[in-house]
Amino acid sequence: MTAEPLYRVRDLRKSYRVGEVTTSALSGVDLDVAAGEFTAVAGPSGSGKSTLLHLMGVLDHGDAGEVWLRGERIDRLPRGAAARLRLARIGFVFQAYNLIPVLSALENAAFVLELRGEDRAAREAKARDALARLDMAAYADRRPNQLSGGQRQRVAIARAIAADPAIVLADEPTANLDSRAGADLIDLMRRLNEEEDVTFVFSTHDPRLLDRVDRIVRLEDGRVVDDGTDATDAPASQATP
Amino acid sequence: MPLVIALAWRNLWRQRRRSLVTAGAVGLVVLLSVAYFALGGAAENGLYQTLTERGGHVIVTAPGADDATRFEATLVEDADAAIATVRREADATLAAPLVLPTLDVPALLSGERRSRGVAIHGQPWPDPARERRLDDATLEGRFLEGDDEIVLGAALARALDVAIGDEVVAYAPGGAGYGVAAYALVGTVDLADPGAEIAAAWTTLAATQQLAAPGAVQRIEVHGTSLRRIADDDVSAALAATLGAALPDLRVEDWRTANPSTQQLLNALDPLLFAVSVLFFVLAGLLMLNTVYLSVMERIHEFGVLHALGAGDRRVLAMVATESVLLAVVGAAVGTAGGLAFVAAYADGFRIPGLASYYASFGLDPVFYLSIDPGQVAFAVGFAVLTAVLAAAWPATIAARIEPVEAMRFQA
Ligand SMILES: Nc1ncnc2c1ncn2[C@@H]1O[C@H](COP(=O)(O)OP(=O)(O)OP(=O)(O)O)[C@@H](O)[C@H]1O
Ligand SMILES: [Mg+2]
Repeated sequence: MTAEPLYRVRDLRKSYRVGEVTTSALSGVDLDVAAGEFTAVAGPSGSGKSTLLHLMGVLDHGDAGEVWLRGERIDRLPRGAAARLRLARIGFVFQAYNLIPVLSALENAAFVLELRGEDRAAREAKARDALARLDMAAYADRRPNQLSGGQRQRVAIARAIAADPAIVLADEPTANLDSRAGADLIDLMRRLNEEEDVTFVFSTHDPRLLDRVDRIVRLEDGRVVDDGTDATDAPASQATP
Repeated sequence: MPLVIALAWRNLWRQRRRSLVTAGAVGLVVLLSVAYFALGGAAENGLYQTLTERGGHVIVTAPGADDATRFEATLVEDADAAIATVRREADATLAAPLVLPTLDVPALLSGERRSRGVAIHGQPWPDPARERRLDDATLEGRFLEGDDEIVLGAALARALDVAIGDEVVAYAPGGAGYGVAAYALVGTVDLADPGAEIAAAWTTLAATQQLAAPGAVQRIEVHGTSLRRIADDDVSAALAATLGAALPDLRVEDWRTANPSTQQLLNALDPLLFAVSVLFFVLAGLLMLNTVYLSVMERIHEFGVLHALGAGDRRVLAMVATESVLLAVVGAAVGTAGGLAFVAAYADGFRIPGLASYYASFGLDPVFYLSIDPGQVAFAVGFAVLTAVLAAAWPATIAARIEPVEAMRFQA
């Protein structure tokens, strides 16, 4: 038996009912993510990328299937336990507006640590360090509205990694950025992944970013049509077990 | 500053106009409450002063005088010893006591042609409280200077058809005194109260004693002339108790027990003040509710992010409540300062413009003394904070129960 993957997603299903219409967002997704991977989830609009990341981040419940994080089943956690798990293990970066507007970059970066109850000195040291790793040390005292979109996303990543999570889930982190800033952001994430072993799963529909990743999971209509493992080191003929 | 407070402060500052209006409303309500309590205190003190000036802070009478049918039964005979005891104890307890033995004699007063039955009031003079209404406007002639003089209400003088300088004869047969006396009318008084004016006949204690009851008095009143506020009066009851023990054969009461209906009124006044004040706070609370609710609704997405990052429901609840309480505390601080400044400015007494002479004509003190106790200030501030907590409860619950995924969908 191979080592337990960081994430194990099995036959995950989720559909939304709006009035009479039922939309299937995920129709049986299987996915393994190993620690240290740098994975993009790609696919057309409406293919289920956000839904998948939300379920992996225990922000929502699926209808069926299982999600395991480090050997612990997390898809049926009650609200409070889910919040504690997110706080302890998972870093989030969202598409937009994900910083707290009234806090400085440093305070934003320290916020998850503050929620964890770390004392001021410790959390500021870690937050400063995280900002420095994203080349944002000079902007520590700026409020989000005094930063560019790319800079805001870097602060969001700093906030995620300052808390040293098992994984950073990023839903379309580059969607509000121009292609240059988007590419820079992905490069920074890549560097954190390579140099500091931070595990990333992010979604994007920008094909130009995909040559910067080593694994692309392609979604279509709520199904994984290509899980990216054969593109790297596996033989083309290997089927999912 | 802890991050929770800083965060709340900055969030309030985001909508500073709205926050200022709301904090201002809370401040105004606290200020109004403090001022209103102080005015209520002034009214209570006014009542207290009127009562004690008319009847004394402590009153010594004959036991059973209240329902006596015979004049003799109302008397404290050989009163000198009792008066000396009262004077001694009053001097020991009060700053500037005025001890007034009084004797009212029912008599037939006669002028040249007409007569009328009244109670002639005798007491030693001067008595600043009773003489307050005697000024150029109300007193014609002069006030008493000797034991063979009398001052009448102007209406009574008219009824007897006597004028200043005339002789007035009093008949009070059946007592231990001479039963008859002649006085020179030296002055007449205009009183605002016609009932009082037709019954007013004032002379000295020595005169009424000689007329009907040598050596006796009906009341020994102790006036604590420096006492202005109920709150400062912690001595009346104690003095009454001491005198009660020293004069076991007499009845000794303080102003409260002597005026049971006033006591009831004072007891009813406080709850009334509080009830109106609560109404103020309910109105301010609705404004707070509106403010907190709006600020939560505007930040649904932000609260969604907080939940997504792992903030617990209670943490989010506390964040909203902190904002609300901070708003109230700032408002209450300003309101308290303003209210106390108002009370301090008028603590030495104020006169209602235009009404001073009207009050004086009834023999009332035209000066009001504002009064507030720390408990009432604490009530106002505490209630502001309680209002803030209640106003925040519902919006904070909304914020705490937000589903992160739903909230994220709010993004543009
Ligand atoms: N709350 C919801 N209510 C109803 N339908 C929903 C809801 N959320 C998602 N869906 C539907 O589920 C499907 C998958 O949505 P999802 O947001 O996961 O797609 P996506 O791949 O992230 O798309 P995009 O690239 O546009 O962000 C879509 O058909 C969407 O309309
Ligand atoms: Mg999406």
